[in-house]
Amino acid sequence: MRCMLDLDRADSGTATFDGRRFRDLHRPLHEVGALLDAGYVHPGRSGRNHLRWLAATNGIGMARVNTVLEQVGLTAAADARLRSYSLGMRQRLGIAAVLLGDPQTIILDEPANGLDPEGIRWIRDTLSWLAGQGRTVLVSSHQLSEMALIAHDLVVIGQGRLIEQSTVAGFVAEHADTWVRVQSPTVGALVPHLTALGAAVTTIDPTTVDVRGTTSATVGELAAHHGVVLHELATQTGSLEDAFLKATAESVEYHSGPMGDPS
Amino acid sequence: MIDLVRAEWIKLRTVTMNWVLVAIAVLFPLAVTLLTSYFRGDEDMDARQLLEVLTGSSFVPALLVAVIAAASITSEFGFGTIRVTFTATPRRARVLVAKAMVLVVSAVWLQTVVVLIGALAGKALAESQGSFIDFADVPTGLPALLGTVALAGIMALIGLGLGMLVRSTPVAIAMLILWPLMAEALIGGLLQLVFDEVDIVSWMPFRAGFSIAAIESFGGPDRLVAGIYFAAVGLGLCALGGWAVNRKDA
Repeated sequence: MRCMLDLDRADSGTATFDGRRFRDLHRPLHEVGALLDAGYVHPGRSGRNHLRWLAATNGIGMARVNTVLEQVGLTAAADARLRSYSLGMRQRLGIAAVLLGDPQTIILDEPANGLDPEGIRWIRDTLSWLAGQGRTVLVSSHQLSEMALIAHDLVVIGQGRLIEQSTVAGFVAEHADTWVRVQSPTVGALVPHLTALGAAVTTIDPTTVDVRGTTSATVGELAAHHGVVLHELATQTGSLEDAFLKATAESVEYHSGPMGDPS
Repeated sequence: MIDLVRAEWIKLRTVTMNWVLVAIAVLFPLAVTLLTSYFRGDEDMDARQLLEVLTGSSFVPALLVAVIAAASITSEFGFGTIRVTFTATPRRARVLVAKAMVLVVSAVWLQTVVVLIGALAGKALAESQGSFIDFADVPTGLPALLGTVALAGIMALIGLGLGMLVRSTPVAIAMLILWPLMAEALIGGLLQLVFDEVDIVSWMPFRAGFSIAAIESFGGPDRLVAGIYFAAVGLGLCALGGWAVNRKDA
């Protein structure tokens, strides 16, 4: 992201926004809004003054500063010094800075890091709202459960290399495990028929099994054929996190060993 | 460019510490000058004495201006706001030029106020105590006062240049204090021992720079040459610092 924004020099390659490099954008805040770290503020300044100087660099007026402060809910705290802001308030200020120029492209690095549940919900809703307006929102995050909720497309990078680029659904479908959960008071009667088909059966409890290597349709038809009553028949898919760990297994820099007995 | 100048001006005046330093920069030379004028006014104080006190004490605002200038860039690196700055304005040289313009103009304006108030109020106070002050009696008075103002502007450039190079507020401030007070005397003295036929000490940057604000000549280059030389040092430091900022990752 820092290379994209010309903050760091890339060893190779270029990043362009609508065909132009970032350094060639005349007033970049109107085209690209970026929040790399909400902590990049002078603690002695007020939130309003932080936005004022930032707005001035791109010819944005004071009225817009007040508008974005209101949008992120910081109007009441706008004149307090930034050293008194919580992490969540700084994150809101960062989003306000991103919105200053009403950009079409938004770049955020770990926007939910360190936030409380309310803050995480706010970031999630804000990002969805921004994307819903037709903007491009690029978010870098290790919080995969959050990304699973809001992302449409995914770029997976491991040790600086592109591992995969696809939709979230496509990525999960390709890399995550899929199985059929079967619940029945007489599930034991069904298991021999499933194994005879070549499916792998894992017993969860006396009435529940997970079946791999077949589909829910096949399981349902088999149960009907043998007169087994089913209480649950559902296809289960692993999480984005499961898919990510599987896809990046070879790119993990540090592998943890068994924890062992602390005593 | 006007947008960037406005942004840098907002940055400069929205940090409380800068106002504290400005208050000291204004009050110190005025206090020294006015107290001296008041208490020595009845001892037949003359214009030369008044101007010597005023220009002598005006080194303090010049030094504080350099500290403000250095901190204006080192604090950006320290707090990470330099990344926000360069994300809003990717052409770094334009930001640095705007910063330099704001700092130099502010420094010159500040020192002009100090010098004007110090000279006029000092004259009034001394004369109220029975002295007669006529600045026309001191031919080097006006050039020295102008030199004092120029010194502040150049010190702002030196502070900014050092700040861009070292990127650390404590290191920049330590260098701004130790360079003129110790390093120059040591280095100049040592070099003078080796090259005893050349007047090296007079060409040490701060010595030459401070000489432009002196009523009595230090010896060495004349005021204009010393001023141009010191300004070249300031601009050179800024150019070197700007090159480093442009080249390195933010």
